[in-house]
Amino acid sequence: MTPPPPPPLLELEDISRRFGGLLALNRVSVRVEEGEILGLIGPNGAGKTTLFNLISGVTPPSAGRILWRGEPIRGLSEDRVNRLGIARTFQNLRLFGPLSCLENVLVGLHHRGRSSLVGALLARPGFRLQQAKLRLQALELLELLDLAEQFHQPAASLPYGLQRRLEIARALATAPRLLLLDEPAAGMNPGEKEELCGLIQRLRQQFALTVLVIEHHVPLMMRLCDRIAVLNFGERIAEGPPEAVRRDPAVIAAYLGVDG
Amino acid sequence: MSGLSLLVQMGLAALLALSVSLPLRCGQLSLATPGFYAIGGYVAALLSTRWQALGGAAATYPLPSLLLEMGVAALVAGAVALLVGRPVLQLRGIYLAIATIALVEMLRVLNLNLEWSGGAVGIFAIPQPFAGPGGYLAFTVLLLAAWCWICARLDRMRLGRAMAAIREDELAARCMGIATTEVKLTAFVLSAVIAALAGVVAAHFLNTWNARQGSFDASITTLAFVVFGGSRTWLGPVVGGLVLTALPELLRPVGDLRLIVFGLVILIGPALFPQGLITPERLDWLGRAWKSQGR
Repeated sequence: MTPPPPPPLLELEDISRRFGGLLALNRVSVRVEEGEILGLIGPNGAGKTTLFNLISGVTPPSAGRILWRGEPIRGLSEDRVNRLGIARTFQNLRLFGPLSCLENVLVGLHHRGRSSLVGALLARPGFRLQQAKLRLQALELLELLDLAEQFHQPAASLPYGLQRRLEIARALATAPRLLLLDEPAAGMNPGEKEELCGLIQRLRQQFALTVLVIEHHVPLMMRLCDRIAVLNFGERIAEGPPEAVRRDPAVIAAYLGVDG
Repeated sequence: MSGLSLLVQMGLAALLALSVSLPLRCGQLSLATPGFYAIGGYVAALLSTRWQALGGAAATYPLPSLLLEMGVAALVAGAVALLVGRPVLQLRGIYLAIATIALVEMLRVLNLNLEWSGGAVGIFAIPQPFAGPGGYLAFTVLLLAAWCWICARLDRMRLGRAMAAIREDELAARCMGIATTEVKLTAFVLSAVIAALAGVVAAHFLNTWNARQGSFDASITTLAFVVFGGSRTWLGPVVGGLVLTALPELLRPVGDLRLIVFGLVILIGPALFPQGLITPERLDWLGRAWKSQGR
């Protein structure tokens, strides 16, 4: 007998979420396989960000199961979910505004630098070495996202596009296996979007990441993603390779408003 | 009041201001400081007046006994903070402030009515570890310097960064893997310990302790220290505590006008400097100005 295949990295089983009278997600099932870039598209209000909030522990699902490597994680708090290896960015940018770019990334590195309280209070050499290493790591991440020159600037003072990249750097600092990107290209011009596309693919290579990405720009998603899942009015109406999804009649209907 | 005594009071006020500022660093408006200050004072008053063995043979109260009291007070206040903190820190903003005011009031009413805390009369004749205010001043300055050091180091430690992250965006901090409840609880316990230590010194210094020492007024006064000085650096609360405690005494020559001037300062301070007198940016600027002058 062959051993059973390993479970997918993340599996959503019949997830529903109700807000009062609104059914934001209705029995949605999605599988995220290790190493892939899975795109999540759908019209406004389709429930994409709600799905991210459920995965990252921000809101609990009303029904259904969330499995991480086959283990249920429903009901874990956001920090526990993050420490499992799931990091996210935010559609509306939630950086620590007055903190510098470097400090923002250092917050992400929180769990890498454990040190004794006494050592830290007395600034012992061991503590200083560790601090230097953390700063180096943070700078490397900033460098990778082309933000090294802004390392000392307050996050809130950066232009919009750079803030989006800083959010990615901060998320990467938590050493995720799965990265959730919520509209990373929003507000970028076509050139910047193109760059971002290459960047996400490079990051996947370098950190052996799995990426789940929400984005409205469909042509970009067609090139970036291995597979695409489509949400409409809280239901998953399609999932598959970009080409197949593009030709799917249900998807065309959802986007163009055609009946049937 | 003698000059030295005023300086002791200023130092104690600065400690209390640091105590209020620690939860504020992670965005938590807690007004519980006077409650823990009262706990510290009662621990000192009870131990030193009821437990003869602590007294020793010398004319002054032995210093090791004072240190022992501080240890006990820190433990008691820390334990109460740990116990109360978990449920109370679920509350946010003004609700947390209200709940902590309730805590202060509950402690005050308890102390006012319990037999062993001396009731309304309080506890008298608390023995003196120092012969005069000079000794108290030296001791308070040491204590204040130690806590300034700790609070300054926080900025460079992961705990301090986590606190700043929670202040700016708690949800984002949690999503970055920070156990925000634990961090907030740590800040709350540290805040309680500082206040209790100040209470121990104050009880000996004042020679008497009663339920009036931890009241709602004190909550507001200590908060004013931090609002005036600024909560984003360790120096801000310290300066706020020192200045606002000294001001009413320094203004004594202007007679009754002093209350008006004092009120105006508290009113105009935050209006002109909404972030407080001392902000990281102003410190940076001062630092650079200092350096360029040195060259």
